[in-house]
Amino acid sequence: MKAIIIIAVILCCLFLLYATFPKSRKQFLKNLLSQAKYLIPRYFT
Amino acid sequence: MRNYDVIVIGAGIGGLCAGALLAHQGRKVLVLEQAPRVGGCCSTYEWNGYKIDIGASIIEFPQVINWAFERMGTTFQKEVDLIAVDPTFTARLHDGTEITFPIDLDKTKEKIRKLAPEDVRGWEKYSQEMDGFLKAALDGFFVTPARSLWDVCKLFAKTPALLKYGSLFFGSYEGVLRKYLKNEKLLEALSFHSFYCGLPPALLPGHFSMIPYAEHAGIFYARGGMIGIPLGFQKCGERKGMEVRLNTTVEKVIVENRTAKAVKLSDGTVIDAKIIVSDINSKKLYMEMIDQNNISWLAKAGYKSYRYSMATPMIYLCLDYAPPLKDHHTLMTVPMQKMNDYWFDHYEKGKFPTEQFGILSWTTRSDPSLAPPGHHIIAVTLAPGPYRLAGTTWDKEKETIKQNVIQYLERRYLPGLRDHIVHADFSTPVDFEKRLLSPEGAIYALRQDLTNAMMFRPSAKSKQIKGLYLVGASTHPGGGVPTVTASAMIAADLIGKYES
Repeated sequence: MKAIIIIAVILCCLFLLYATFPKSRKQFLKNLLSQAKYLIPRYFT
Repeated sequence: MRNYDVIVIGAGIGGLCAGALLAHQGRKVLVLEQAPRVGGCCSTYEWNGYKIDIGASIIEFPQVINWAFERMGTTFQKEVDLIAVDPTFTARLHDGTEITFPIDLDKTKEKIRKLAPEDVRGWEKYSQEMDGFLKAALDGFFVTPARSLWDVCKLFAKTPALLKYGSLFFGSYEGVLRKYLKNEKLLEALSFHSFYCGLPPALLPGHFSMIPYAEHAGIFYARGGMIGIPLGFQKCGERKGMEVRLNTTVEKVIVENRTAKAVKLSDGTVIDAKIIVSDINSKKLYMEMIDQNNISWLAKAGYKSYRYSMATPMIYLCLDYAPPLKDHHTLMTVPMQKMNDYWFDHYEKGKFPTEQFGILSWTTRSDPSLAPPGHHIIAVTLAPGPYRLAGTTWDKEKETIKQNVIQYLERRYLPGLRDHIVHADFSTPVDFEKRLLSPEGAIYALRQDLTNAMMFRPSAKSKQIKGLYLVGASTHPGGGVPTVTASAMIAADLIGKYES
């Protein structure tokens, strides 16, 4: 239970931090996150 | 019996440089090029006495290219007649303000003092940071393979100074510039450089923000046209027996048991070689030119996931007057935010802008011999153009867009232009694809964000096929004349190490 609360607090903090970012930084992070799932297959190319 | 040790597919800068370096290693090299001329994106064609550059219009980081020539016992200056370009560029901002960036940093500082006195200190700090980063990057990054996590660790161990600049890799181009500069006009003047690497300021990784600074180390034009640089590599290779065949299209790379054995040409001819070096887009190579049974499912997923880099429509103008410009490069700019918005709201949705931004490359300013006496050439690099236009095609829209852009240029930058055009040639992304066999007209092959960089970009020594090596924009370190030259040095080193 304690672990879940800690994770929820961390996620909440990250979300609040993200909300403060300017538009361009959000776009930068969004692009990286959208491509992150391909990192493992790309490593084998 | 094999006639060649190495076959190079593609006579772009990467292919010719790799071929020449390998010929200097004592190998028998054959370079095959589908086009009627060498150079790929760094090439020049002729029209009625005008020599017109297809893509690249200057070179930065000449020292990187010089390293390649030095490895062959010569120098860049000896092989290619280089013309120093100064100033680096003049930016004409959307509100009509003009700012010039001379090569001399002190003179540039004075220009900035006039436009944005509040940013002089910021410019100094930016210059200092980029100077340190560049020294570290040139020391290790450019010609070191980054094929694995281990390679990257070794790279940082070899050049620990790079660690100091680690934060540059995880921010955006825009973020880095905004850290140092506040004046929106100055930011506008420096923002188009992000498209030199194929992405808008909001998406391009921050380490590329060194480009506007790096230009102050000197930028150059090759006398007679940019094709002079690939021809320089060709000459060096031919001295050691390298052969170049033009108008020869490779259809397939023949692979047996995951080992490259030969190439098959479009006319059915098969040419064997122990080593195949590919200077074509690696996504196309692996997805279309190699039997898929030789590639693991994970790698296939990786190749499929790559997005092609942006395409850039260009207009080549042959003129019978001296255009009312000042410098070799004039940047047509819009505010940084507008460039980002264009990318997300237009480019990614298949729309091409009416309000243009890009580069006017007045090549005859640096080399009048490119055109008949009194005549001039401007190559206009337009805003990134989507390969697929929403609801229509480039072929249908080509003439209308060409006329609209010429009118726009006349209104904003080149008064009287239409009365002085001798010839105007519009090259769309589809034309680039046909001309260079570059999928979707991508000028930097694959996108250049962090998820396509270093060990996540297709490896210079194939991880799937023995005897297959990659050079060019679709492998590390990426697109651009000096970086592609670096890729050739990396491949030649790896071949020297692994292929006896």
